Amino acid sequence: MSEDKFDAIIVGGGLAGCITAYMLANAGLETLLIEKGNFSGSKNMTGGRLYAHSIEKIFPDFANEAPIERSIVHEKISFMNDDSCVTMDYSTKEASNNEDKSYTVLRAKFDEWLAQKAEEAGVGIIPGIRVDDLIVRDNKVCGVIAGGEEMEADVVILADGVNSILGEKIGMVSKVTPHHCAVGAKEVIKLSKQQINDRFACTDKEGTAWLFAGMPSDGYMGGGFIYTNEESISLGVVFGLHNIEKASKSIPQMLEDFKNHPTIKPLVEGGEILEYSAHVVPEGGLHMLPEMVRDGVVIVGDAAGLCLNVGYTVRGMDLAIASGEAAANAIIEANKKSDFSKNTLNKYVQNLEDSFVMKDLKLYKELPQFLDNERMFNDYPDMVSGIMKDMFTINGPSIPMRKMIMPHLKKVGFMNLLKDGFKGVKSI
Amino acid sequence: MSKLSNVWVFSDTYSRLAEVISGGLELGQNVKAIVLTEDESKEAFAYGANEVFLIENSDSNNIVENYSKSIAKVIMNEGKSLILMPGTKRCKSLASLLSIELEAGLVTEVSEINIENNNINCRHMVYGGLANGLETITSEASIAVIASGTFENIQKDESKTGEAQKVDFVENKNSIKCIEKTSKEGSSVDLNKAKSIVAIGRGISKQEDISLAEELCKVMDAELGCSRPIAEGEKWMEHERYIGISSVMAKPEIYVAIGISGQIQHMVGAKDSQTIIAINKDKNAPIFDYADYGIVGDLYTVLPAVTKALKG
Amino acid sequence: MKILVGCKLVPEDQDIVVQNDGTLDTSKAAPKISQFDLNAIQTAVDIKKENANATITALSVGGKKLENVKVRKDMLSRGLDELVVVTNEKYENILPHQTSKILSEVAKEQGFDLIICGDGSGDLYAQQTGIKLGALLDVPTVNGISEIVSIDENKIIAKRALENEVEVLEVPLPAVICVSADINEPSIPGMKAILAAGKKPVNVKEVVVEDSALVDLVEIRAPKKKERAHIIIEGDSEDQIAEFVNNLRKII
Repeated sequence: MSEDKFDAIIVGGGLAGCITAYMLANAGLETLLIEKGNFSGSKNMTGGRLYAHSIEKIFPDFANEAPIERSIVHEKISFMNDDSCVTMDYSTKEASNNEDKSYTVLRAKFDEWLAQKAEEAGVGIIPGIRVDDLIVRDNKVCGVIAGGEEMEADVVILADGVNSILGEKIGMVSKVTPHHCAVGAKEVIKLSKQQINDRFACTDKEGTAWLFAGMPSDGYMGGGFIYTNEESISLGVVFGLHNIEKASKSIPQMLEDFKNHPTIKPLVEGGEILEYSAHVVPEGGLHMLPEMVRDGVVIVGDAAGLCLNVGYTVRGMDLAIASGEAAANAIIEANKKSDFSKNTLNKYVQNLEDSFVMKDLKLYKELPQFLDNERMFNDYPDMVSGIMKDMFTINGPSIPMRKMIMPHLKKVGFMNLLKDGFKGVKSI
Repeated sequence: MSKLSNVWVFSDTYSRLAEVISGGLELGQNVKAIVLTEDESKEAFAYGANEVFLIENSDSNNIVENYSKSIAKVIMNEGKSLILMPGTKRCKSLASLLSIELEAGLVTEVSEINIENNNINCRHMVYGGLANGLETITSEASIAVIASGTFENIQKDESKTGEAQKVDFVENKNSIKCIEKTSKEGSSVDLNKAKSIVAIGRGISKQEDISLAEELCKVMDAELGCSRPIAEGEKWMEHERYIGISSVMAKPEIYVAIGISGQIQHMVGAKDSQTIIAINKDKNAPIFDYADYGIVGDLYTVLPAVTKALKG
Repeated sequence: MKILVGCKLVPEDQDIVVQNDGTLDTSKAAPKISQFDLNAIQTAVDIKKENANATITALSVGGKKLENVKVRKDMLSRGLDELVVVTNEKYENILPHQTSKILSEVAKEQGFDLIICGDGSGDLYAQQTGIKLGALLDVPTVNGISEIVSIDENKIIAKRALENEVEVLEVPLPAVICVSADINEPSIPGMKAILAAGKKPVNVKEVVVEDSALVDLVEIRAPKKKERAHIIIEGDSEDQIAEFVNNLRKII
């Protein structure tokens, strides 16, 4: 390995960075990965759930080896207001097809494993160093600068996360604003395997994913979530930062109140808080994607804004992995031709368009706007909760069900219901 | 607690000879002191040493460690036993040299020591003050390097005198020459004697702001102290004012920690204070675990307000 | 000039958990290079800057943790030419009298002009191993070195800061010196050093010494924390400060 120049340098050792590095090294390229944390995963966070399809492609049967927590077979969605909760519950057998599965993960463990796979494939990994700048000559990116030292490469892959300083420096990514991101805050709470099995109705290796809309995000766009890990649960809230001025409480307070909700409290009883973390998530979607490719450089993962916002949850991990794959394939081709110009590297964007990444982003591009509607997180939870209450309260003679439901619908407003119904159907 | 028949003592520093003799008297029936000057010989007898051995050597370029073989010879001739030395840099080094010469078990920074069945049990701090290690020395010769304050103060009795036995210097091929010596400016500050201490930490952003704490000191009649970064890092205050495992271990009645996070290496020097008060803007700072009274706030707001209120 | 540097792995003390009974749980505390050994390595690196033909070899004795590749790379990334390790399960928690014996065997085999150690190690801080090593090797030995004034193939002139004075010492080589934490600010390895570390040699040696029964480590236990009132006011509004002052008046 020449100490002077690499075929590729990847900045950032999260999911997108490690996947890109792994694939490049496997294809025989001299690859270097620089991670600013002391180890991959030390600065990464997820609410909890990884859809396996994109990583299964690259590491078939990865779940046998990787430190995944539980396989999700039990889905719950709830409308929640301050004192009640209406839940839809779906349980099933584990999917027979590996690609259809999803798993809860803890990033410190998972990313560390992935980085190790990359290292085993021949990637040189430098932890604990932050890249300060890019080397640019004649408008082409030729390497990186860290701590005053320079390292050259044919191509640099920016996988440096939601706040891509390097992407900003080079003018490809615009500065993150509150309008285009959300904050996720969570606690990892320790419970025994049996307690988790009992409280969330699962068996040892299988788990529950539970999403909440309404009160957890103070009635604004976002939501609460609980994911079961092997011996802990990840419990948290997501909040669309563009509403922060209107919020009546701080995000840590939202998390606290969610935890103390009468539905949630008994589920976390006796649990010890192992970890408290928070992270910014890019939420701009299709409208805010940066310039992804220039001569000698490509941007992957969160740094490229590749997060799919479906309102109460944001999917980023499987997209990051797929973007890493798309970038790696394009770079392998470029390397064969010894041509790292924007034109050639643009194959990356084409690969993304052909994959679920762009297709899903396009499909759901109206969903955030649709969901960012106060009724979604206030009126509807109240409405559903109100209907349930009336249905299940018996006190004296009963009234016909339609007469019970009507007042609740009227409260929301029939026009609103129709409008939201139409828009909703269109956006999905 | 049982006593040994004999205890050896040695100090490289005049002012700490009393301390080790005190220890010798506590742990042994007979205290034998090894000294390098006539003055020390008189001092040793006055504090209660039963026998004194004076190693003669006029070479002023010797460092204390060059005497290791001479000291070892005396002890081997007269009988191996426990040797007590004060916790100075030189004595720590001398102790290690002697431990090899005499095949003696050695424990340093001993804060508590007792004898049981002729074994020496010693307690000393580990992991930056987080915990205490308990070690037992079982060898025939043993060495304990003592942290200050371990033994009680004893009084001199000038009427106690004696004749030191003169011993020859044993040539040491590994001698090291001291070619120059400069005194460090002695500090008159002794935080160990202070009744109240006000200590500042990294929360103080500029050297000029230390005056805010000095004002509180005046009002409270307290001494000013600090955490390591202020003394050793920024060098805004002298070494003698920094409280922590490698400097002052204080036991004042009142300890006020301002802008100090409360890491163990610092707290180990303050945690035995009777009352601990903390001002820090981070409510999760470890200092609040140690505090009796505290306030989570900006010291630049709180400190002047508190000083003013206490003045008036 | 051949320089050897003593290097010990200690647990990250921030991650040591004190259990209810006072015993320490170091299982979550990742091994790291003792801070004082980083000072020793930096001293060697600074000497090499002025003496291009000097070589730096680190010696480390330990248990299973020393087999970890990442930790070895970390040591090598600091400017060493070579790392020599003696690993054995039995050596996980050995005390200075054993460590110094093992190190002296390795040092004798390696040959040296100067051995540099930290004054003590970040875990037990016994402050014995370096000096004992010098005594076993029968060479001039001294601790507390706070500055290297000059060095040539025959001697080293160094300053030693004591409690009340500063000595300037002339130490004939070969010798063992222990450096204090004030001697330098260890530099943080850059990218190239980290990369180069992967290619530097690690030599594993077998050394067996009998445990001379001089000192037994009976136990390590955290002292009971004194009970504290924990009356903490959260906020610095005028009212809150007034409340705080009221609390203080009771004791001051």
